[in-house]
Amino acid sequence: MTNTFMLYAMREWQLLFRNSSTLAQPLCFFVIIALLFPLSLPAENALLQRIGGGVIWVSAVLATLLSLESMFKPDYHDGALEQWLIQPRSLTLAVVAKVFSQWSATGLILTLFAPVLCLTFRIPVEQIWVLFVGLLLGTPSLTLIGAIGAALTVTLHRGGVLLAIIILPLYIPILIFGAGMVTQSAQGADITGQIYALAAILTLALTLAPFAIVGALRATID
Amino acid sequence: MNPFVTVWDFFGRLYHRLASPREFYKISRFTTPVFGLLFLLLTAAGTYLGLFVAPADYQQGDSFRIIYVHVPSAWLSLFIYMVMATAGAIGLIWRMKMAYVVVICSAPIGAAFTALALITGSLWGAPIWGTWWEWDARLTSELILLFLYLGAMALYYAFDDRKTGERATAVLAVVGVVIVPIIHYSVEWWSSLHQGATVFRAGGPAMPSSMLTPLLLMALGFTFFYGYCLFLRAQNMVLHNERNSRWVKDLINELE
Amino acid sequence: MSAHEISAADSHGHCLAANNLACQRGERWLFEGLNLTVSSGTCLHVIGANGSGKTSLLRMLCGISRIDRGDITWQQKNIAGNDDYFSGLAYLGHKDGLKNEFTAAENLEFYQRLNFENDPAKVDEILAEMGILACADLPTFQLSFGQRRRLALARLLLVPRPLWVLDEPFTGIDQAGRNLIERLCVEHLAAGGILILTNHQSLRSGPLKPFLNELEL
Repeated sequence: MTNTFMLYAMREWQLLFRNSSTLAQPLCFFVIIALLFPLSLPAENALLQRIGGGVIWVSAVLATLLSLESMFKPDYHDGALEQWLIQPRSLTLAVVAKVFSQWSATGLILTLFAPVLCLTFRIPVEQIWVLFVGLLLGTPSLTLIGAIGAALTVTLHRGGVLLAIIILPLYIPILIFGAGMVTQSAQGADITGQIYALAAILTLALTLAPFAIVGALRATID
Repeated sequence: MNPFVTVWDFFGRLYHRLASPREFYKISRFTTPVFGLLFLLLTAAGTYLGLFVAPADYQQGDSFRIIYVHVPSAWLSLFIYMVMATAGAIGLIWRMKMAYVVVICSAPIGAAFTALALITGSLWGAPIWGTWWEWDARLTSELILLFLYLGAMALYYAFDDRKTGERATAVLAVVGVVIVPIIHYSVEWWSSLHQGATVFRAGGPAMPSSMLTPLLLMALGFTFFYGYCLFLRAQNMVLHNERNSRWVKDLINELE
Repeated sequence: MSAHEISAADSHGHCLAANNLACQRGERWLFEGLNLTVSSGTCLHVIGANGSGKTSLLRMLCGISRIDRGDITWQQKNIAGNDDYFSGLAYLGHKDGLKNEFTAAENLEFYQRLNFENDPAKVDEILAEMGILACADLPTFQLSFGQRRRLALARLLLVPRPLWVLDEPFTGIDQAGRNLIERLCVEHLAAGGILILTNHQSLRSGPLKPFLNELEL
């Protein structure tokens, strides 16, 4: 079992590092989106400080969404995915490995970089920690849920906007708890509830999403 | 004879009859007008009682009467999503053709009820809150639900192959139904933080029966309207899907 | 449409059977009521015009495509979720399943590990047998179409598998390559394997003739 997981995960990482542009793109997108907000809003530090957490969360959601488009499509187009379907190996584990490596190349990198972005929004250090923990718990769920949408649209030629329409509403709870956590902690309120909520969503996504992804792949690949 | 076995047997037979498009078509020829009639009777009674018999609200006056459209629509918007997800799961597990038809035909009806709930909610809000839109938990959840419906419809129409689209939409409906309660809970929590206008809570258990009876009649009537629309759409879809089969061709010959 | 029936005399070894199989694309039934049985040592050549459902049939037999009606069994057991079947199946479709970012050897090694083996020397041996050892360390995107095809076919040799399903294996391959593939197929069949393939030309005059069965869609 671990063998199957590692085999697929190693393959994904190798592919990611051969294609280093796929590693850099979501991060660049993340930073650019986040920087659009200060430029389009009144130049008040207090305002930026208040909205910073929400802006960074929205940017993380959009950057994750952007990376989903290329999650299954290359493997579908070159036929690798149909070979996965007929291996005597667990497709569910293969999918979990794929999601994990995809997350490590997008969500994890965004999370690690978010504190730097926080400084430009003048967010205090305590809230940077809150945002960091929130992103660390929330971004894996984003990738897991998003992968269901990516699998559903894998055979479509123009799936980008459709993927956004079907996935963004499902992202709302994660966004609410994640961004709400930052706002709450700025007001000095307790945030353990939201941490538990994000952890619960992650647990649920980890247990159910892989099966939904496999179901979606089997439903659409023909 | 064991009554349990008989009941089980009855459902088994019903299931097999409903599973076949042809049998479904026969049954729906009978049920569609019945549902339509029940809808007309119940909503007519509900409208009369709601508009003329129920007393005006002591705070809101007559403007509260929009509740008789708003609340049933909101109930149905959730109910139809549940039906879609259940039918989707049945279709995926037992590969039942008709279940997919229910999923696909329910989506636009559900979206319409959701839109109706949003519009009536906004109309209601105008005199009560003094604004067309309030970031209230229920309205926001309803708006998100509308996007879930629109997403399901967009996904279905994106596929060239009907069967692939049906299966993909069923998967999405099942995934959505797991997330809908989480969305609802998170939006509730978020709106409790939101310190704006005081949130208006409709009715509650204190509603007198002269106000409640028309509401229940309307809700039941709307449900039959959903059934009526669903069967009508499903009939069309079945005829379209099976247009190359023998029984549909015979049917057309009979008409001519 | 009439029912097709293909049976082979050999009742030993492996047996793949399809019962009352039907395939619908859009609103059109490509085939209905298809029955077939293929057992060890036989080659089934699926013949038909473009769009007659050859590829769909092959993909159904591999458990990739949805089955609209009927069922497929391997050793009398349904193939859905049957690990025993999938460890004995090799499929080569129109798409070769190779990653451009990897070298030829890396591509093959990944599939070898998927088959529970790890033996780089054997990969080199197989590449040599397919005549592409010189490209072993080239990134796959630098290979020509024919070389890629040979590399994809090399997957068949990684581990012995009783069932080969090949969709147009000779497309884009030169005469020497064709001879090579035919020789491999004959060896596979002689050892009791099963081969199901599509090809535009008749195979009646080739070396596969003694094993040949034809199925017209």
